Amino acid sequence: MWRDGALVAGKDLRIEARSRVVLNQVAPFGLVVLVLFAFALGPSPAPLTNAAPGLFWVSVLFATVLAVQRSVAVESSEARDGLRLSGLDPAGVFLGKTLAVAAELAALEVILAVGVVLFYGVVVHSLWALVAACVAGTLGLAAAGTLYGALAGGLRVRETLLPFLLLPVVAPVLVAGTRAWQSALGSGGGTGGSGDPWLRLLCVFAAVYLALGVVIFGPLQEAS
Amino acid sequence: MSYIVAGYAIALTTLAVYAGLLVVRRRRLERLAARVEDEQS
Amino acid sequence: MTLSTADAPTAGRVVPKWTRRRTWTVRILGIAALVSIVCTVWLGLWITPPDKVQHQLVRLLYIHPPIAWVALYCAFGIAALASILWLWPRTRSPLWDRLAASAVEVGAVFTALTLVTGSIWGRPTWGVWWAWDARLTSTALLFVMLLGYLALRRVPSDADTRSRRCAVAALIAAVDVPIVHFSVDWWKTLHQGATVLNANLSPTVHGSMAWTLLLGFVAFTLVFAWMLAMRLRIETLEQALEGAELDEALHERWAEGDASVGASARRTEPAEAAP
Repeated sequence: MWRDGALVAGKDLRIEARSRVVLNQVAPFGLVVLVLFAFALGPSPAPLTNAAPGLFWVSVLFATVLAVQRSVAVESSEARDGLRLSGLDPAGVFLGKTLAVAAELAALEVILAVGVVLFYGVVVHSLWALVAACVAGTLGLAAAGTLYGALAGGLRVRETLLPFLLLPVVAPVLVAGTRAWQSALGSGGGTGGSGDPWLRLLCVFAAVYLALGVVIFGPLQEAS
Repeated sequence: MSYIVAGYAIALTTLAVYAGLLVVRRRRLERLAARVEDEQS
Repeated sequence: MTLSTADAPTAGRVVPKWTRRRTWTVRILGIAALVSIVCTVWLGLWITPPDKVQHQLVRLLYIHPPIAWVALYCAFGIAALASILWLWPRTRSPLWDRLAASAVEVGAVFTALTLVTGSIWGRPTWGVWWAWDARLTSTALLFVMLLGYLALRRVPSDADTRSRRCAVAALIAAVDVPIVHFSVDWWKTLHQGATVLNANLSPTVHGSMAWTLLLGFVAFTLVFAWMLAMRLRIETLEQALEGAELDEALHERWAEGDASVGASARRTEPAEAAP
């Protein structure tokens, strides 16, 4: 399973390296979202600084939708059949695609985080907490996204259906990620004090969706 | 008090409308099924 | 669908008719539901006294918790269970898929009503139409996920694929809603904690109010059961008649076409025959 996963991940990442879609299109989109938020929340820096964690994660969520769309679009229907016929373990395919999406998102998040620091003027208290939250959150997002991507896979209405399906489901990542970042940045609203419970929630979410995807990806692929 | 009455009214009306829709849909389908069965036999 | 084979005349029919016993069961269910709803409304709006603290507003609590219980536990629970049963190869059967779809649709109606009645209760009580606490937020998200399921269901594809997709969507929703609930719970909680919503624990409402509430639960559960049975029947018929409806439409079209071709042929023939 892991070897198949590595194969698929490598394939997806190589496609990305050659086409650079995520880098050239999704990343700028994320930055544009950050800029739009700045326009929306006004010129004074205070609201932006306070809202920065949430805004970061919202941008990440939107970027996830695009990244998952791209991950699914990369496979034409013939490629999908080929993937099934190749005898690769479907759980491995799931893990591979998830890891590829996660890697792309991680790169995006670095860019967006830099953007947030620059645009919103936040002060970082604990870099380790930020990174940990991002890793756990990204894995959860990628897993849930890949699962829904496969679900909506061959449909023509995928572009409109996927965000509608995916975003409600990953709402906990938004909640937990924002809280974790808030305590890491030391900005207002730290009701829970430390960000540890939120980090744990992110890890639970990631674990649940990785497990769910591994189990259900095979049966899902049987028909679509 | 008007809130309460409004709440009851909305809930009951919605359920009644949906129930009506179900009944109508089912009758239509049963009629269609009967027609298809007649054509087949 | 377990139907009695006792009705020999229905052999060869596209979908077996309901047996007499089943028809009457559903009918009685419907009547019982109607009667209990009327009683609940009568008791809730007129007979029972106003609450010491909440005054008249407590009356909404005779319908809001029952509706919520039906939506969140009955409907969604059945949908999730049925989806799992369908996905598990050994128990797979088209019945589970139909049951899940019916439960989701009826559940969506009830979930919407939960949000609306809760909001109406919340406005005079808390002063706000909406609050971002655990229960409200997870209910709202559940509603959106149910709508997503229904949207997936409408996508045209072969029956097996569609069932598969929807079952997985339902399963993901079932896994996610508790997670959403937990995460928002850690935020803040405005919603009534322990009074009645701990189902079956001793409620802090007394006397006639408690009985009315119990009746409310029974009434709305009966309503749900009746609606589920109807919707399930509709789903069965629709699936069986899918081809038939198309065939019928095609036949009608061809009949139209033949009629117009015949008419135009008759018109041209004399012209051809003449010269």
